Amino acid sequence: MKSIQFEAKAMNETTLKYAAGELRVNKDFVDLRVVEEKKSILGLNKTYIVEATVKFDVIKDSIMYLKAILADMEIDALVEAKPGENKQVSFYIDANENPILIGKNGKTLDALQVLLKNYINLFTDEYYMVLVDVGGYKAQRKKQLEILATKTAKDVASSRVEARLGKMNAYERRVIHTKLADWRDVTTESEGEEPNRYVVIKPRQR
Amino acid sequence: MAVNFEKLILDLVTPLVIHPEDLLVKKFSEDEASITIQVLVNKEDLGRVIGKGGKIANAIRTISYAAASRIGKRINIDIDSFE
Repeated sequence: MKSIQFEAKAMNETTLKYAAGELRVNKDFVDLRVVEEKKSILGLNKTYIVEATVKFDVIKDSIMYLKAILADMEIDALVEAKPGENKQVSFYIDANENPILIGKNGKTLDALQVLLKNYINLFTDEYYMVLVDVGGYKAQRKKQLEILATKTAKDVASSRVEARLGKMNAYERRVIHTKLADWRDVTTESEGEEPNRYVVIKPRQR
Repeated sequence: MAVNFEKLILDLVTPLVIHPEDLLVKKFSEDEASITIQVLVNKEDLGRVIGKGGKIANAIRTISYAAASRIGKRINIDIDSFE
């Protein structure tokens, strides 16, 4: 949880704005608490020691953010969140109109993930890994990629000729690399420039 | 069924900015084929709303396109700061 302490002359809107500016977040997410009141010798001037905290619950606020966006898009959807190990959070969305949320090649889904990850990491000190899936699209895509990887790797291993897969995003390439990491006969490498990076499966030198 | 794009973009952007009082989302023009929406933010917030290499701005656009595709329109989003 991000927090700071500072001295203020009064407790009002200006104090809140100052705290928000220092914490670099929207002031609606800032909580102020008076730690100590200080009086000057004559008792005329009062100053406060104020503690400002960012109030943010990764799961709750993220679900609210997603739900607000989906409601604005006029899509009825179920949103679930599951915290995982190592600061990883998975979100699962199921709507009556999943294809709209997935988009061509999962483009809209990726956009949702980028925004949500950015949103969460703005408000927290730790760095969170954020995964968003709509209607099992990513899980299914992962399975397909793994089948493709295994099949192509077998071909490469027997023919000893390298093979190039289609362009993929970072996550998809990672799935291929991970799947083939412990193969003895082939190595994998990413080549090309974003957004046209692709994986090459090469026979391993003997 | 009309999606309120101004509200959608406002909800997307508001949590990202430090100065919500300076945030302004306005429909600039609308015809049969497209809608143009102007987003004005405080100078300090511009970088956060656009993101590294336009990552956040593009994500906002992609989500807006998805919402607009249901009514068969294109949506243009202009992001700019005051001054």
